Amino acid sequence: MAAFTEQETSEVAKTAEILNTTKTLALINSKAPFANTHGKDSLDVALIFASFEQVVSLFFQGDGVYQLIDQQDGSLISVKDYLKTFSAFEFYDIEDIYVCQQSLVERKLSNSFHIENVQVLTAKDFALQLSQHKHVLRF
Amino acid sequence: MKKLAVVVTTPPYSNLTITAIEYVEAALSQGIDVIGVFFYQDGAIQANENVSIASDEYQAIEHWTKLHHEYQLPLHICITAAEKRGITCEEVLDDNDAKSENLNDIFTVSGLGELVELSSSATRLVQF
Repeated sequence: MAAFTEQETSEVAKTAEILNTTKTLALINSKAPFANTHGKDSLDVALIFASFEQVVSLFFQGDGVYQLIDQQDGSLISVKDYLKTFSAFEFYDIEDIYVCQQSLVERKLSNSFHIENVQVLTAKDFALQLSQHKHVLRF
Repeated sequence: MKKLAVVVTTPPYSNLTITAIEYVEAALSQGIDVIGVFFYQDGAIQANENVSIASDEYQAIEHWTKLHHEYQLPLHICITAAEKRGITCEEVLDDNDAKSENLNDIFTVSGLGELVELSSSATRLVQF
């Protein structure tokens, strides 16, 4: 993520203070989907928290944005395609899904995602949303 | 009182685990209530009794043992992560037909539900 100026940092901090931090967990996904199990491990955490009726938001940043790109098929490389499970987010009431715009731009990726309701945010808004959560885990 | 919960995702031979241990040690020695450590991903390898690290290297598991005994620090292991990594315990021996138990008994067999519990009780959750 881009480095913030001091002014931007204090703006985010101030706005965060005004809005109460009420959401339970922010999960930052920072790895591409199929080389390792970070994405799947993060998904498992998301679904368990959601099934305990905790408010979970998903953040995709850095190479993690590749987890949202459509037309991928893990089975071509014999990997269980956990990305298909993303379509269950609605059922689990996982509604806040954020992706870092800058990470998409840096990788020349378009906004064609394999799930609906993905919000593309600037680095500043991404940070602001992140600050609304009590806990953050990163995978 | 403020409560701290810690998530460890790195294996016992990782230098990042040393940082986690020193962080927990510092918190406990200052009287901070550490309500538990949850071992996920490669963190689960800590619970394998057969792990043997060269004697001139950092002995992470000895340090966890000391913290567990000195402060009754709860050490929760994600059983799904552990089984994937060859760790077996009595409760699951029948399921996977493993030969013998190799779970270090300072660890409590848990699942991600325990992480939900820890996060809802903790003032702060810190991941390593």
